[in-house]
Amino acid sequence: MENENSVEESLTAAISGREWLAQRLVAPWWYHPCLGLLAGALTAVGIARNGTFFAWAVVGYSIGCGLVMWANQRRVGVSMRYFDRAMSSVFVAQVLCMALVAAVACWLEFSRNLRGALLVAALCEFGITLLFGYWSDRVLRQRIVSLQR
Amino acid sequence: MITPRFDNVIHAPNRLRICAILAAVDSADFSTVRDGIGVSDSVLSKHIASLHASGYVAIRKSSCGARTRTTLSLSPAGRRAFKEHVSALHAITENNPQRR
Repeated sequence: MENENSVEESLTAAISGREWLAQRLVAPWWYHPCLGLLAGALTAVGIARNGTFFAWAVVGYSIGCGLVMWANQRRVGVSMRYFDRAMSSVFVAQVLCMALVAAVACWLEFSRNLRGALLVAALCEFGITLLFGYWSDRVLRQRIVSLQR
Repeated sequence: MITPRFDNVIHAPNRLRICAILAAVDSADFSTVRDGIGVSDSVLSKHIASLHASGYVAIRKSSCGARTRTTLSLSPAGRRAFKEHVSALHAITENNPQRR
């Protein structure tokens, strides 16, 4: 039978492997700011009040997000299901929050003719992306470090 | 339901770390696991061969341009064995009266 020290060392080895992985999976410094800039830019495009221009911006936003995620995925070198219940909750909250900000800004800009509302919303979208991004990093880290999985 | 079961194949520190990393993901590149364990390619290959022989690790090779990309993943049996082994380790530490 293994002695207590050996067992402790084994558990420490397993946990250190998970901590290394968690560190690697946490998004690099450029990841959330890039996604935030893309979200902010998409919102700011609304100022042009041009449907075709906005449709192209949505295409650009989708491609941009895809490229940023692909670059991160290549760096990490693992494939995994990111969206468990906790991560999905954070993601849904982020989408709802961003949609609410965009809806309020559109109402102010187009119905109330309040110039600059979309620009403020663009800044908010950048901040929301950063905030929820770092939050999801924390949730992911907790999940990885736990040896229950 | 996980039944604690000590597994000698998994228990070696490097193999335990390999399983701990692979259990948290669907699959990982060979180079990623090597970086995580901090060993050479040949040492990792030996550990992987041992885990593969026990049916715990699946190895997939795909060509990526001129290079061959090796992807590792834990098999369902490997995932179960890892959980049971970790559970056995926890049971040993929890049952030790010196820790109380």
